[in-house]
Amino acid sequence: MTDLLEGAAGTGNGNEPLLRVRNLKKYFPVKKGVLIDRTVDYVKAVDDVSFDIYPGETLGLVGESGSGKSTTGYCVLQLLKPTSGSVSFLGRELTTISRRELRAMRRETQIVFQDPYASLNPRMTVGDIVAEPLVIHGIGDRRSRRRSTERLLEVVGFNPDFINRYPHEFSGGQRQRIGVARALALNPRLIVCDEPVSALDVSIQAQILNLLKDLQREFNLTYLFIAHDLAVVRTMSDRIAVMNRGKLVEEGDAEDVYTNPKDPYTKALLAAVPVPDPRAMRVRREERRKLKGALAEPV
Amino acid sequence: MALLEVEDLHTFFKTREGEVHAVDGVSFTLDRGMTLGIVGESGCGKSVTALSIMGLVPPPGRVVSGSVVFNGRSLVDRKQRELEDIRGRDIGMIFQDPMTSLNPTLTIGTQITETLRRHLNMSRDAARKRAVELLEEVHIPNAAGRLDDYPHRYSGGMRQRVMIAIALACNPKLLIADEPTTALDVTVQAGVLDLLQELRIEHEMAMIMITHDMGVVAETADDIIVMYAGQVVEHAKTLDLYDSPEHPYTEALLAALPQLEGEDVRHGRLTSIPGRPPDLIAPPPACRFAPRCPYAGQDDCAVVPPELREIRPGHWVRSAHPASERMGHPVGAR
Amino acid sequence: MVTERRQEFEASLIRTAEARGQEAGAALQRASLLRDAVHRFSRNRGAVVAAFGFVIMIGFVFIVPWVDSASPYAVDFSKAYIGPSWAHPFGTDEFGRDLFVRTALGGRVSVEIGFAATIAIMLIGIVYGAISGFAGGWLDNAMMRFLDALYGLPYLPFAIITVTIFGVVNFWTMVVALTVASWFTTARVMRGQIITLKENDYVRAAHALGARWYRVLFRHLLPNTLGVLIVFVFLELPGVVLGEAFLSFLGLGISPPKASWGTLAQDGYSSYQSHPYIIVVPALAIAWLILSAFFIADGLRDALDPRTRENF
Repeated sequence: MTDLLEGAAGTGNGNEPLLRVRNLKKYFPVKKGVLIDRTVDYVKAVDDVSFDIYPGETLGLVGESGSGKSTTGYCVLQLLKPTSGSVSFLGRELTTISRRELRAMRRETQIVFQDPYASLNPRMTVGDIVAEPLVIHGIGDRRSRRRSTERLLEVVGFNPDFINRYPHEFSGGQRQRIGVARALALNPRLIVCDEPVSALDVSIQAQILNLLKDLQREFNLTYLFIAHDLAVVRTMSDRIAVMNRGKLVEEGDAEDVYTNPKDPYTKALLAAVPVPDPRAMRVRREERRKLKGALAEPV
Repeated sequence: MALLEVEDLHTFFKTREGEVHAVDGVSFTLDRGMTLGIVGESGCGKSVTALSIMGLVPPPGRVVSGSVVFNGRSLVDRKQRELEDIRGRDIGMIFQDPMTSLNPTLTIGTQITETLRRHLNMSRDAARKRAVELLEEVHIPNAAGRLDDYPHRYSGGMRQRVMIAIALACNPKLLIADEPTTALDVTVQAGVLDLLQELRIEHEMAMIMITHDMGVVAETADDIIVMYAGQVVEHAKTLDLYDSPEHPYTEALLAALPQLEGEDVRHGRLTSIPGRPPDLIAPPPACRFAPRCPYAGQDDCAVVPPELREIRPGHWVRSAHPASERMGHPVGAR
Repeated sequence: MVTERRQEFEASLIRTAEARGQEAGAALQRASLLRDAVHRFSRNRGAVVAAFGFVIMIGFVFIVPWVDSASPYAVDFSKAYIGPSWAHPFGTDEFGRDLFVRTALGGRVSVEIGFAATIAIMLIGIVYGAISGFAGGWLDNAMMRFLDALYGLPYLPFAIITVTIFGVVNFWTMVVALTVASWFTTARVMRGQIITLKENDYVRAAHALGARWYRVLFRHLLPNTLGVLIVFVFLELPGVVLGEAFLSFLGLGISPPKASWGTLAQDGYSSYQSHPYIIVVPALAIAWLILSAFFIADGLRDALDPRTRENF
């Protein structure tokens, strides 16, 4: 297994993208029928999406519900099998590699989930949850794993004394830290953050976002940061891609996209975000009135 | 006379571990046509406050003390029957989740006319006509044709609009909106908030907007109450609150918000508030925010519970160290 | 090299861990899940009474034959048909055998058959349902269609047919007969559980970590079905006990001299007009077991139902 990662470990300089997604499509068949299901239509969750992510950067993937952003994240990690398209990580094509190679690749690509109450197995201790990746990949022995687990918990700001407790004894923010520790355990290069703070209170959000920023610096991580909150995405991302109904409508440097949006959907999205500034809100309301068309709700 | 006067409201929940002080001494007044925003994080008691006003606190909770006077009449200690009359007719309420607030087995039309016939004694035909009018008011396209649709044929944003239509059906004087847009996409949210504003002005209706979103409340409210651990910690006019927040919690909350624009948003750190809100069964005896407050001293903060005091005309704070009284700290938002 | 990278990483961890504060804060002061469950169970008075009753019944059937000196098999016509009395709390039957001990012994047989059959039902149902739910796709489809067809089989007639095919009725044939057409609901429930649990993020997380299918199934899915399974045990038990009793009553029960409640009831049937106690006692015992099991299941369901957090 070492040779698989070696070949991958070679290409890690700043000019080559770490992740290259081309023409990614994920269609979900809509089936009807009584005894035998017939496919009558498709839900085009991801419809021809392409982007690159460079080592060390954060690409923010932003969109509303139904935009396909989470589905894109899952397809990148091959948690969902793409209908078509290519996902190339460190030069390796993930959609066609063998199961064994995919397992090895799992060490390099990890994910943090949105719901802190559903992403941890309620019947496993905190320690078991964080150590599981090490167990699965046969890293170390019981003692060294325990040490690593304690370090990982400390690194995410979690008291390692709680290693034998169960998830239900902790708040949302604390659980999210456990999830981050688990994602970090294998020393991945790329972490997909799927709405990691959407379920948290504002003051806790800030804690977790700061943590993610710190970890990125300390461990040289690359993030695909998926969220619907434009302000959260702004604070985390170097570059931003905007998705609408399965299509990527705009992409560019974060600064550019936010100050000079080109796509009407992006403009409408930015105008719709409520900002904590009463004077600005009045101005924005006017802007929204002008953009009425792009804001039309689906019926 | 103010439309709604809440005085020293206390709502407790009896649990196995003890009594949870969900709302612990909340007071405010609301005038006709004004919007009051109640803002705070989860567990601060903002929703329970709204439920207490309406008499909808689920057991094991109950309003322990305090008064709620609506239009001159007290709402506490009233029989359910009388409260039911007031609810829907004089006070409308909309909730967070449009998916579960509407009965999936009844048509939209039935749910609207139900309220009209209950409170206004309208005939079936008159109620149906009025229902169409209401749907048009909330900008549901092809209202007449959609009256007999079931909720599942409406999108989330449209369902919320229907909720608003139902709440407004009897022309209430007060609308209580509990996180009305939290479950909606941001573009849909903007539409719903605009709608609420429009209707509020047209119907001369007062509104209580409960939310955790500082942006939403900046847009909709005239007055804002910030709640923490069951208490009001700051109460001010909207502009004043954002320009010059006084309470350390308010300041921290505003500083913790990620910004849409600004210099070095990407590489800067957000100000986070360490720790967690206190346990409401045994809240700290003195200032409840003290354990997390950067200005808390060993002095009063841990011993004397701060009172809500008027630090400027129209601006109340519950803190021993409000911004404008701190030495060497400039008064300002950030 | 991979191990070099790993070592560097571990070193990084140590460095960073030292520098980081403990921002997360203390654990919530929450009672353990088990204590919560026990408390919720104890709030259901019917369940608590039933639990006591169940334990008493189990105690009765296992302890009494041990302790009581009266022999269940000794035939003594001089003592025949004595009604309930001090010496014979449940009276004696036509052969003069003490019914107190016989009821206990019969109960032991009934309970053992009941538990054995329940376990068999659970095992088959769990395996079938887990495979179907976990595999998904066409296999799931096929297995469910097959199960749908099996659902049409009437349980009791099939039990009767099975017993008849075996020819002899002993513990094992009875267990098989009672199991053969009773595991369908368990399979379906299990499948539903697995399908629901599969959607949880922690299962996706396991896949993302590279876990193989057996790890996902045995570490993540099955343990989280325990709650439902325990409730189901207490729901299936009554059906099985009643089934055994019914078969015995029809004359297809355990061969004498071994007795079960069902055969005791059948014995008492012929003389119930003159000596009703002979049939009433085992019937009441069966009812006791069944009712207490149902109430326990009800209490367990409430106890293990994770209530959503109260939002204030």
